[in-house]
Amino acid sequence: MGRIQLEKVSKSFGDVEVIPPLDLTIEDGEFAVFVGPSGCGKSTLLRLIAGLEDTTSGKVLIDDADVTQVSPSKRGLSMVFQTYALYPHMTVRKNIAFPMRMAGLSEDEQEKRIMAAAESLNLTDYLDRKPGQLSGGQRQRVAIGRAIVRDPKAFLFDEPLSNLDAALRVGMRIEITEMHARMKTTMIYVTHDQVEAMTMADKIVVLQAGVIEQVGSPLELYSAPKNLFVAGFIGSPKMNFIEGDEASKHNAKTVGIRPEHIDVVESGGAWTGTVGVAEHLGSDTFFHVHDTGLAETLTVRALGNVALNHGDTISLSPRVNEMHRFDDQGLRIA
Amino acid sequence: MSDRRLPRLLQSPAVILLLIWMLIPLGMTLYFSFIRYVLNSLRRPEWTKPALSNWRGFGNYEFVLENKDFLLAIQNSLFIVCSILFLTVILGVLIAVLINKAFPGRGIVRVLLISPFFVMPAVNAVLWINMILDPVLGLQGLAVAGINDLISSLQNAPVVGWFFSLWPQFEPISFRATQTSAIAVIMMVTWQWTPFAVLIFMTSLQSEDQQQKEAAILDGAGAWSQFRFLTLPHLARPIAIVVMIQAIFHLSLYAEIEIVSRGNGNKNLPYLIGEFANNNIGAASATGIFAVILANIVAIFLLRMIGKTLME
Repeated sequence: MGRIQLEKVSKSFGDVEVIPPLDLTIEDGEFAVFVGPSGCGKSTLLRLIAGLEDTTSGKVLIDDADVTQVSPSKRGLSMVFQTYALYPHMTVRKNIAFPMRMAGLSEDEQEKRIMAAAESLNLTDYLDRKPGQLSGGQRQRVAIGRAIVRDPKAFLFDEPLSNLDAALRVGMRIEITEMHARMKTTMIYVTHDQVEAMTMADKIVVLQAGVIEQVGSPLELYSAPKNLFVAGFIGSPKMNFIEGDEASKHNAKTVGIRPEHIDVVESGGAWTGTVGVAEHLGSDTFFHVHDTGLAETLTVRALGNVALNHGDTISLSPRVNEMHRFDDQGLRIA
Repeated sequence: MSDRRLPRLLQSPAVILLLIWMLIPLGMTLYFSFIRYVLNSLRRPEWTKPALSNWRGFGNYEFVLENKDFLLAIQNSLFIVCSILFLTVILGVLIAVLINKAFPGRGIVRVLLISPFFVMPAVNAVLWINMILDPVLGLQGLAVAGINDLISSLQNAPVVGWFFSLWPQFEPISFRATQTSAIAVIMMVTWQWTPFAVLIFMTSLQSEDQQQKEAAILDGAGAWSQFRFLTLPHLARPIAIVVMIQAIFHLSLYAEIEIVSRGNGNKNLPYLIGEFANNNIGAASATGIFAVILANIVAIFLLRMIGKTLME
């Protein structure tokens, strides 16, 4: 079991309130991702759940038991840190054994769990090495191994992939997702990377300045963002926001349309403009289009290779039914 | 080849200077240790000039080995150095860990803690032996007298008087005596050098990874386990540095021994060398060579020991 609830939890450092009171429930077995720009309080929220920070007010519940005053080690959670936080003078084996050694498990049981974890993480050949002799990806696997052997109610990941290079990051992303599918343990994952959030999560929690902007499945967030912030944060490249007359036509303060929902047509589209930068990726082509009569530069995503270059004239046709409308407060108009 | 010769040529002045710096004193000491060389001799004036014709072979070494003070001096050197190392490292680690957490006035406390290190050794020795350890006028004498006065006044008190009448009179300890002067030296040098250890350990503690500590907290490690399994291994290298530097410094202690007891029953090797050097340069040089050998043995032994125990 591992159902985590936050009830009116808030956190202040001195006079600065970094997290105003918030409520959140993460169901047992769920893969929840906290995402937001840096400084939005997502790591603080995770540390509140772990118990590494004390809540200023409110309650943290794990499986309906109030753990707000319970020490971090007694909460039954494991955490994986951005810097791995391995013990540098211990071998991989001793690193993984450390939580079990602290818990006073028998040598046999320790060895059994170490071998099981090492096998599932491909670490068997590295057990007698020290962390300094491992690559970044291997170190992160050791950190995950150390988290697994405790058999926790939930795993907490604090930006675990930020220190890895792009290729490794994709690989580890898949490994962690598979691990979750296999173990079905609750996982809370903090990242600033919306691609990680979209690909891994069952439930995404979008945070800004300590406030939860929206909670939902990746596709809910993609297709029905509650406000301008979520609309702009989820999706790559960013959604186009158009204000002024064009928005008024749709009875909104702002309308948003994703780059993939604007079609490039031969002629007669709603907007005609000049191609600024054209990014040819092979599978897709991204155009940054000026001089459409709108104040904003439009980003357009076309499938495959479209043979238009800098300075060419382009005709665009937005799919009106895929448009998002927002009111004066930046909230979604249904 | 030529492209390698130029850098070597450019390095050579520094290397040669360092070699001369080290080898000439060592060579002269070795040379003097094998000849008869005294500063004053009315009977054999030819010994007052160093010359190969005064060759004595291992005679100086034999003379030193047969001296009744020599073994005592070696024993005493080791006793003093090891005790100081033991005390400064333990006190240094404890104090460094204690002041590592933020508290109001930490800056002032740190400056105060480090200040003993700036006192000159001779001044330190004079202060300790006269003002603190003196059995009559020092702090020790006053404290013992005060306790004795208190006890004797309590002996006349009603009800509990019988209990205190069982207590003995306390005697102040004279630290200039043969048996205790080494203890006095250890105390004053420990007081002076603990700040050095604190300083080194403190800077090292500040570079300790906080996420490792948080990971350990989540792994269920208490304060002691965190100290034993994270902090102490983290401090292994600074401890080795402190031990090595202090071993080198304290093997050559002189001022404190001179001031506490004038070497009375408490000679170490440098003091013995000093005594020989009043006249017999040959014997002093031979003792010097013994001191070099001892210093090397101590250094190797201590470093091995520390490396093994702390790095697991």
